[in-house]
Amino acid sequence: MGIDVNIRVMGGAGQGVHTAGGLLCRLAVATGHHLHATQDYMSRIRGGRNSYSVRIREIPVRAGRPQADIVLSLDPGHLPHILSSVSPAGIVVCDLPAGEAGSADPRVIATPLKELSASSGSPILANIVGAGIVARALGIPPEMVDRVLTLEFKGDFLEKNRVAARLGAEWAQGRVPDSFRLPERAFQARMILAGNEALVLGAIAGGCKFAVGYPMTPGSGILLGLSVDGPPLGLVFEQAEDEIAALNMAIGASYAGARAMVATSGGGFALMVEALSLAGMLETPVVVALGMRPGPATGMPTRTGQEELAFVRSAGHGEFPRLVLSPGSVEEAYALAHHAMEMSEAYQVPCILLTDQYLADTVVDADPGDFPALPVNRRIVHGNDVPRDAKGRYLRYAFAGDGVSPMAVPGEPGITVVVDSDEHTEDGHLTEDHAVRIAMVEKRIRKGEALEMETLPPLLSGPPDGEVLLIGFGSTKGVIAEAREILSAGGVSAAAVHLRQVAPFPARAVSEILDRYRTAFTVENNRTGQLARLIRAETGREVSGTIARFDGLPFTPEELARGVKERR
Amino acid sequence: MSGIFDTDVENAWCPGCGNVPILNAVKKALERTGKPRHEIVLVSGIGQAAKLPHHVDVNVFNGLHGRALPAALAIRMANPSLTVVVTSGDGDIYGEGGNHFVHNIRRNPDIAVFVHDNQVYGLTKGQPSPTSDPGWTGSLQRTGVISGPFPPLAVAIALGCGFVARGIAADIEFTADLMFQAIAHKGFALVDILQPCVTFNKKNTYQWYGKMAYKLPADHDAADRVRAFELSLEWEERIPIGVLYRREDRPCFEELHPGVGDPPLHARETPPDAVRDLLRKRLFTLP
Repeated sequence: MGIDVNIRVMGGAGQGVHTAGGLLCRLAVATGHHLHATQDYMSRIRGGRNSYSVRIREIPVRAGRPQADIVLSLDPGHLPHILSSVSPAGIVVCDLPAGEAGSADPRVIATPLKELSASSGSPILANIVGAGIVARALGIPPEMVDRVLTLEFKGDFLEKNRVAARLGAEWAQGRVPDSFRLPERAFQARMILAGNEALVLGAIAGGCKFAVGYPMTPGSGILLGLSVDGPPLGLVFEQAEDEIAALNMAIGASYAGARAMVATSGGGFALMVEALSLAGMLETPVVVALGMRPGPATGMPTRTGQEELAFVRSAGHGEFPRLVLSPGSVEEAYALAHHAMEMSEAYQVPCILLTDQYLADTVVDADPGDFPALPVNRRIVHGNDVPRDAKGRYLRYAFAGDGVSPMAVPGEPGITVVVDSDEHTEDGHLTEDHAVRIAMVEKRIRKGEALEMETLPPLLSGPPDGEVLLIGFGSTKGVIAEAREILSAGGVSAAAVHLRQVAPFPARAVSEILDRYRTAFTVENNRTGQLARLIRAETGREVSGTIARFDGLPFTPEELARGVKERR
Repeated sequence: MSGIFDTDVENAWCPGCGNVPILNAVKKALERTGKPRHEIVLVSGIGQAAKLPHHVDVNVFNGLHGRALPAALAIRMANPSLTVVVTSGDGDIYGEGGNHFVHNIRRNPDIAVFVHDNQVYGLTKGQPSPTSDPGWTGSLQRTGVISGPFPPLAVAIALGCGFVARGIAADIEFTADLMFQAIAHKGFALVDILQPCVTFNKKNTYQWYGKMAYKLPADHDAADRVRAFELSLEWEERIPIGVLYRREDRPCFEELHPGVGDPPLHARETPPDAVRDLLRKRLFTLP
């Protein structure tokens, strides 16, 4: 099994928790290891209790652990909240002034982080002093810390950071045990990125040229990424006055021929719902990235949940086809964002990328081979390929076999593009003709049937039949995979199904899989078992039960394996 | 009247509806621009006024109630070579779409906005609109409107809109000229149009507007913002029509936005090499 170290940096917002955590991620990869990092933060600008957990192994890691082996605590006031989640042999490097006893707990190492930071010449670098101590505990040579720091900082500030990290390493000598030394491994180049970043890259690689949104956690990170990484590839970004404007803008840009997207969370998506229906009616491609967090209403703004499964499948008045994809990993966030851009245009349907705070903020190291520059297939038609009526006018909604009418864009001589949110004729003008209404409904539904033919199948891992099946969608993929390994190692034959597409639903494939296992549990970050109900509605089959977690935090593998054993 | 922009879509307006002369004014203004139909996009929301684009043979985006402006803005951002004109009602632009009205004046995209202001919701059969006069009785406010009226021109001037005008449906030539100027203006251009609703508004009729409206004198200084603001508040005794306020020195949104321009977004490529360069930035290699 090898090494499995879980490091947690804790502190208030503004104390550099994220910077120290990110540095530890890069140090893990620099020393040839793999990592999985998660963030837990409160909805405030300064203070509170935030944490950045980095789990390091010699094999790729796809889930976190609740118990930390090394804690770097930048705020001594957090100690009472920390100790219960430190492993028995763990250590807590806690900022305490020299001579001050922090805790009777032998795991606590009182460390004068602020004083060391001040003596380095920069009082704000307690986090880097701490990272230097943690690096020493992991057996990472100070020279390597120096090298990695050159990637993060420049000039004078780089030098201050180097001094701070060195001071930490020197202080640790003889004071901090090295029981968590990482074995020596050869370095290999890896991508280091979070779920939100991967989603952004996938969308840009998928030809997204227009992005708009109104800030809302955890969707804001996607907007930030699009606004930074998009423009070099010709993407135009704008912050909208509200989410209603955002999706209507994306649809307007799509009408003019741009691949367009918005990003938001559940509350913002609720405001976009009427426009989602507009996209269904106008048949304009558009992608909505929805980062879920616990509701109802404002809920827990910075925490995770999976409460919008039923909502996104039915959102929007009237009947129209849609694609809902649910990436389960950083790699899938990239691939499915590209897929969303392609499919949305191919079938002229809205596509929702259903992610959550957990995946949004999860950082891993990934194989660069999983991030290819995939082709972008534009489907805009021109000139003679445009369907026309007897008078030569473009028929935007020409009755095509699979319901997908050739899409032209405004600006080309000889073509005018007419679209209407009312029921419309083939040329796009409003109509109250009931026969046309029937034909247009059927056209839109046929698109959905064609879309269904390209449904991404569920991913099954583990024995093809047996005792226990765990079913999840979206961000639970990695946790379920590791829980399955724990169960198998403990003598429970378990398989796992990951759904990366939930609309159209892969009903036949799920039915066939369900029939091969004695018991099946859905694993969901919601209270009511929305996936279990969806499976019942789509397949007519009952799962044995739902393992639910809805406190705002992600599942962890041990907890999930324990839950399965209790329920079995 | 027949012209190059006519369509054969059936007219759904009441006999005598103020939308008919407004439609004729729109066509006249568009003809005067000399632009070909494929370079023009008419954008509207929902309501009787919002049906106007169907009667003009150009590109049409007839979207959701209140949401014409976001769509129009994005069309301009995606392709600034298109001439984008919003033509919709007072309920649509000032009520349901009020937030977009405010923030797009702030943005100042090069869009001409024609508001058919009949002070009533016609298509839903006679409810008061944001511009209904206090005391006016509508189907949902039987005892009379108690909210103060939304002053569109005053709001636009306060927000720094560079072209603020009022037209009148009954005078097609006059209104068409305002519309032409609004289209020619670089930036957000508002033309609020006094429009009778012959079915549901028995107060603000052709006769009433005819009595109340007066053309701004030739010596009106449209660059005088304070004077324009004063004029925009005139309503009780008489109503000024014409260009109240105009400034040409404010750059439009498309000029200021670093990403908007040529080529239009539909023609922008996604070269695999550029994608690889972007991905490489996330690749961790040791220095």
